[in-house]
Amino acid sequence: MLTSPQLSALQAIIPAERIHCDADSLDRYGQDWTRYTRPQAAAVVFPLSIEEVQAVVRWANAQGVAIVPSGGRTGLSGGAVAAQGEVVLSFERMNRIDQFDPLARTVRCQAGVVTAALQAFAQEQGLLYPVDFASSGSSQIGGNIATNAGGIRVVRYGMTRDWIAGLTVVTGSGELLQCNLGLNKNNSGYDFRHLFIGSEGTLGLVVEATVRLCDPAPPSAVLLLAVPQLPDIMAVFHAFRSRLTLQAFEFFSDQALTHVLAARQAQPPLAERQPFYVLLECELPPSADDAPVLQAFEHCLEQGWVVDGVLAQSQQQARALWRLREGISAAITPRTPYKNDIAVVISRLPDFVSWLQALLARDYPDFEVLWYGHIGDGNLHINVLKPESWELEEFRHACEAVNKQVFALVAEFAGSMSAEHGVGLLKRDYLGVTRSAADIALMRGVKAVFDPNNIMNPGKLLRRAG
Amino acid sequence: MKVLVAVKRVVDYNVKVRVKADGSDVDVANVKMSMNPFDEIAVEEAVRLKEAGKATEIVVVSMGVKQCEETLRTALAMGADRAILVETDTELQPLAVAKLLKAVADKEQPQLLIVGKQAIDDDANQTGQMAAALLGWAQGTFASKVDVAAETVDVTREIDGGLETVKLRLPAVVTADLRLNEPRFIKLPNIMAAKKKPLEKTSPADLGVDVTPRLKTLKVAEPAKRSAGIKVANAAELVAKLKNDAKVL
Ligand SMILES: Cc1cc2nc3c(=O)[nH]c(=O)nc-3n(C[C@H](O)[C@H](O)[C@H](O)COP(=O)(O)OP(=O)(O)OC[C@H]3O[C@@H](n4cnc5c(N)ncnc54)[C@H](O)[C@@H]3O)c2cc1C
Ligand SMILES: Cc1cc2nc3c(=O)[nH]c(=O)nc-3n(C[C@H](O)[C@H](O)[C@H](O)COP(=O)(O)OP(=O)(O)OC[C@H]3O[C@@H](n4cnc5c(N)ncnc54)[C@H](O)[C@@H]3O)c2cc1C
Repeated sequence: MLTSPQLSALQAIIPAERIHCDADSLDRYGQDWTRYTRPQAAAVVFPLSIEEVQAVVRWANAQGVAIVPSGGRTGLSGGAVAAQGEVVLSFERMNRIDQFDPLARTVRCQAGVVTAALQAFAQEQGLLYPVDFASSGSSQIGGNIATNAGGIRVVRYGMTRDWIAGLTVVTGSGELLQCNLGLNKNNSGYDFRHLFIGSEGTLGLVVEATVRLCDPAPPSAVLLLAVPQLPDIMAVFHAFRSRLTLQAFEFFSDQALTHVLAARQAQPPLAERQPFYVLLECELPPSADDAPVLQAFEHCLEQGWVVDGVLAQSQQQARALWRLREGISAAITPRTPYKNDIAVVISRLPDFVSWLQALLARDYPDFEVLWYGHIGDGNLHINVLKPESWELEEFRHACEAVNKQVFALVAEFAGSMSAEHGVGLLKRDYLGVTRSAADIALMRGVKAVFDPNNIMNPGKLLRRAG
Repeated sequence: MKVLVAVKRVVDYNVKVRVKADGSDVDVANVKMSMNPFDEIAVEEAVRLKEAGKATEIVVVSMGVKQCEETLRTALAMGADRAILVETDTELQPLAVAKLLKAVADKEQPQLLIVGKQAIDDDANQTGQMAAALLGWAQGTFASKVDVAAETVDVTREIDGGLETVKLRLPAVVTADLRLNEPRFIKLPNIMAAKKKPLEKTSPADLGVDVTPRLKTLKVAEPAKRSAGIKVANAAELVAKLKNDAKVL
């Protein structure tokens, strides 16, 4: 709750109709895609300009009120959750795309531009913004930058970080910084741009970004392969990558498929089910000859890594295959899944998954565990479904108990406890799995430089001091 | 029973085509080409008839440029037994295709000719009907269900506001509608096997058919752009607009 002097001071900088305090708004804007924390926001503000963002930050510093930056609220780690009376600063109304530079192939956009709108804009220019994932219809470029979002094309195009040529940010102390100015070359000292990418709103607010675009993707083939043994998947990856340029290399378990098919009332793509599937998209040679695709497949078949597979014959079929992968998250949302988003170096993946499979079978015997993810990046999404009869808190505690073992294994393999979803609130207490004590102490130091009064998303990523 | 299925190579359903600057045609250079979706349904139906033990052989035929071979290979991978390409670079219009189909049917003597109800590029919806007329066979168009017996076939047709079932004496022509079936995904091993299935090439001249175009396209234009939406302040204004401007109330 804001005190009335606090509120009137806020109303002096943002018109009252863009400050929402009704229960519905507080609830809606107080949470992201996760459902583990009860929202408790004090107010939601919708600035229209950089000046207004700066004014709100100055106000928050003066009043000692914390700010939660809020994008499309599709985050999966509780980063955009306001559970401690913070003010939510939503970028929803700062969604202008302007200044397309066809020569530099960059476009400048406000933080609230929806990812899919940026993709569509690029397409209209005959270009591509290649970062893509199932939530791109709602997530915002600002949120993507704040989480350094990855997605389904990382194998080919990298993460959000690789596409940001410039950032305009308002720091936690209200300073306006222009980071990297959209330049290709700029060795003029510390590059703050990369500090803000992936900072989850803890250093300041991204207000504008200059985004790089690239040539559209060449014609591609989309395949679904049936894989009996999970550790063999990286051999399949190698067989295809040594012959073709991969656009995507995803996997999911048969159990995950079952949920998608049920949610979409669809038929299985292969009548004979196997424990795991690879969804693979690869670029075709200019002749559109599919011979190398068939060669790679034949090799995998001979080795016994793959037992069957289908090749999409039209874009319609390609989309239908992709929906099997992209529909998983939405299909299991009603089951309040407990999500782990982990990664190891791909060469260690076969070993890692063997251990992880054994561990989960031993420690989660009663829960349904779904496997899927961007396995070509070494990235696994392990989703544990809540049995209908369990209470949410009880379920979360049970999952956290198993986490100890899972994360011990991740640490042993020098992996990441959060590959692409960020740390936020839900993964904060596991930060030490991947980052050393010295790392974390320096992160605190960096935060203090940009956000001396600790008003930016406090308690996310780093535990509150003391 | 032998089944003959016609397949056409068209611009992929998901490609947004652009009209050429001179308005003479749409620009199909470098766009993804696929099998006409209704023809895919036709092939699927034939394969299901074979799997059910009702069809003994499936022959697929395509007319057009050399690249139609790819479309035929797709049909072979779906389960057709052999393919015929009537190769020509001439633009083919529905009547020419119907005549070619008759010539191929005369040679192959199938009991059933299945084609898509229309091709999604020209949307002519004429080929199946004209082929039936030229052959003097019965026709069951817009099929959503096909039930084959020894001498006859029952075809359930999608008509305005309902369904109609007709009984046709074989041989007959059936044109496939959207709800007839959902085509399968094609298995990679079947794609490999399809490369070895027989594909015979012939030409309109070999078949004795004159395919010279008889229709001339005068102009191709983009559909009218939708105007931007407007925001109304309240329900009363909405009702007023629907009444006075849109005239739907
Ligand atoms: C179905 C589904 C699929 C997904 N798939 C993927 C995937 O494949 N890969 C992937 O990486 N992620 C994925 N995600 C997670 C999520 O979509 C991404 O992390 C996305 O980048 C979040 O963007 P958002 O705008 O919704 O951010 P929010 O959820 O609103 O916020 C995320 C974090 O960024 C901060 N933030 C938001 N905007 C700003 C800003 N302007 N300035 C500073 N900080 C800001 C917030 O405070 C919060 O900490 C998926 C989510 C869903 C629901
Ligand atoms: C003919 C010529 C052509 C060149 N062309 C280019 C070019 O095309 N592009 C380009 O970018 N540069 C170019 N340079 C500049 C230079 O070669 C590069 O900057 C190169 O990266 C410097 O490497 P170095 O090992 O010589 O570093 P040094 O000159 O030894 O050091 C450069 C800086 O790095 C620091 N440093 C060195 N080693 C370390 C370390 N291990 N850890 C921390 N700090 C360290 C030094 O303290 C110093 O500040 C060129 C130079 C010459 C002479």
